Amino acid sequence: MSTTTPTRARSGAVKAPDSGKAGRRKKRSMGKQNLAGWLFSTPFLALFGVFMLFPIVATLVMSFTDFGQRNVRRPLEANFVGLENYTKLFGDDQFLRAMFNTAYFVVVGVPLTIGLGLLVAILLNNGIERARTFFRVGFYAPVVTTIVAVAIVWRFVLDPTDGLIAGLGDELGFTAPDFLGSETWAMPSLILMAVWRNLGTVMVLMIAGLQAIPTEVREAARLDGASAWQELRRITVPLLRPTLLYTTVITTIGYLNVFEEPFVMTQGGPNDSTLTVSLDMYKQGFSFFNMGYASAMAYVLFVVIMAITVLQLRLMKDNTK
Amino acid sequence: MNRRATTAAIAVSLASALTLTACGGSGGDSVAADAKQTLTVWAMGTEGEKLADVAKDYEKANPKITVKVTPIGWDVAHQKLVAAAAANKLPDVMQMGGSYLTEFADMGALEPIDTKTFQEKDYFPAGWEQGEYDGKAYGVPWYVDTRVLYYRTDLAEKAGIDKAPATMAELKQAAEKYQKAGSRYGLSIQPNGLDSVQSFYQFLYSAGGEIVTKDGKAVANSPKAVKALENYTSYFKDGLAAKSVRPGYDVTKDFNTGNVAMFFGGPWHMGLLDDNYPNLKGKWAIANVPTDETSASMAGGSSLAVSSDSEHKAAAQEFIQYLTDAKGQSDWFERTKDLPANVNAWKSGELATDPNMKVWKTQMESARVSPSQPKWTEITSKIDAAIEKAAQGKTSAKAALDEAQSQIEGLIQK
Repeated sequence: MSTTTPTRARSGAVKAPDSGKAGRRKKRSMGKQNLAGWLFSTPFLALFGVFMLFPIVATLVMSFTDFGQRNVRRPLEANFVGLENYTKLFGDDQFLRAMFNTAYFVVVGVPLTIGLGLLVAILLNNGIERARTFFRVGFYAPVVTTIVAVAIVWRFVLDPTDGLIAGLGDELGFTAPDFLGSETWAMPSLILMAVWRNLGTVMVLMIAGLQAIPTEVREAARLDGASAWQELRRITVPLLRPTLLYTTVITTIGYLNVFEEPFVMTQGGPNDSTLTVSLDMYKQGFSFFNMGYASAMAYVLFVVIMAITVLQLRLMKDNTK
Repeated sequence: MNRRATTAAIAVSLASALTLTACGGSGGDSVAADAKQTLTVWAMGTEGEKLADVAKDYEKANPKITVKVTPIGWDVAHQKLVAAAAANKLPDVMQMGGSYLTEFADMGALEPIDTKTFQEKDYFPAGWEQGEYDGKAYGVPWYVDTRVLYYRTDLAEKAGIDKAPATMAELKQAAEKYQKAGSRYGLSIQPNGLDSVQSFYQFLYSAGGEIVTKDGKAVANSPKAVKALENYTSYFKDGLAAKSVRPGYDVTKDFNTGNVAMFFGGPWHMGLLDDNYPNLKGKWAIANVPTDETSASMAGGSSLAVSSDSEHKAAAQEFIQYLTDAKGQSDWFERTKDLPANVNAWKSGELATDPNMKVWKTQMESARVSPSQPKWTEITSKIDAAIEKAAQGKTSAKAALDEAQSQIEGLIQK
């Protein structure tokens, strides 16, 4: 405040005696500055236009056509089919299954990721003093590991005959289920894998959030005799709300788009039980070349993500009041 | 803003604009076969790597031609080819599997080949058919493959099996005997996942069934196809084959340990077994697909095609001729062990004398090709789904194929 007020006053003082002439000069230099601004942003705008805006618009247009492989070289020959792709989607059992599976992934995966992320962050932030770095790296490592390596490890863990869990089962006398081959277990297995992979990101953000909470607040609470639970509920969670909101929103968006886990582990099987919307879209678009149909899927997914994000932002905001 | 900054800004934006437009085409007339020129060639996987050596030999004999081979991985091949086709930037010559060829011919991205230079009678019928679309030939068969039965001879002795199973009934009995003698699974066939149809073809074609007829009629739920799927899924029901297989499963590992006693494999499995499990040598053999109504296997392999945008069509054709004539094909077999598509190459050397090669040859002669349908990948995905449902016992083979049939009917192009 104290620094901005004088500046404003000074600029006002300069402006006051200005006559038309000075004003015009100023206007001209403003125009020049605008030009420079435009020039400097041109590279970005050009790239954004070509690689973001154009595909977004093209996808929308394509979703109203029957664009297929024949149109790869003759895009203008695609026929306009109106809303046909969209109406077809809602009678497509496979797509509805994919929607259900994706919802399952989000409903189970998001609370798990956020809950465990918070737990790990609190433990790492307060508890273990000595091996803190070790644990932070350990929990973060999955985030920076490529999905191919992750898949190899998890296939080994989940393999029904030679796998880690199956081996453990042999030792302890239980039969491990065929995780990826069973319709009941395949999805939970993939969720587990996704949670493991995303925990690191959430954890790092939460540790940052936790460290932003002033220690005085905690100390005051402890002096007033608050228990650990009370401290978590009344201090940590409310003060962490912005971080919680942010991580929940990005995790939800990420899980609504889930693709890599089913793609490398199950390819949507068994019996479409791990087919997600993104994977279905990939199959329709790039394996079967039903580009128009896949584009319509993309837009349905976009609208769903948008609606859920807006809803989350609303709900979390109302809670603070 | 001073002048220098303005200049810099303009330069930057111009540069980026140029980069974006730099990929404009360079259309022009085609070049004569004997003119100095560079041929671009794309080939996949191992073929892509080994083709570069052949190209060097070719350059020596044809000094005016430079051949630039780009190996591309199978996993990205489709995507790269489609992107190139869309941008009119396909290479002069490219390797293509049967399903790709139909797709790209349908797009109008391929040049029909000169059937005077390349004659149908020189190639296995199944190889030639893979290069055909809509009555025209777009690809010259380069190498072929098919599936035959691999089985463990040492374990067969222990199990009391004295010869290779010759009929489908014998195959089933053999699987049971192997299992009794200690193998975890008598036979390995794919119960689910992408392209399980490839291991089902052996059962389907041998039973006299097919998915879509040549004249474009869906027959996926014909009584013969149902019988084939019932036979196929009985292996899972009786515990003779693994009920779930993960993507990337390598059957040779289990074949080596004896966990799997038999599987249907391609020619490359011989090399894999010899290279990775030298101790297994002499303990396995190959045999023709057991007969049901007939013994018929699926045909695979690759053709060579010329891009319709190519400016070097004449030279491209000569290069393809070099690769696919009898001499070129024997040479290629020496280098890769890929089975020659040209029948004349089979008349001499190892190809004529080796008993294993005889198995491949007889199987190849009757091998069957899928009809050229542009939506073939989507069509077979419906069969994959039917196999999966029936293999798990969720529905009967008949019900699963009925469902597939109704879906496939909508995907056929006549």
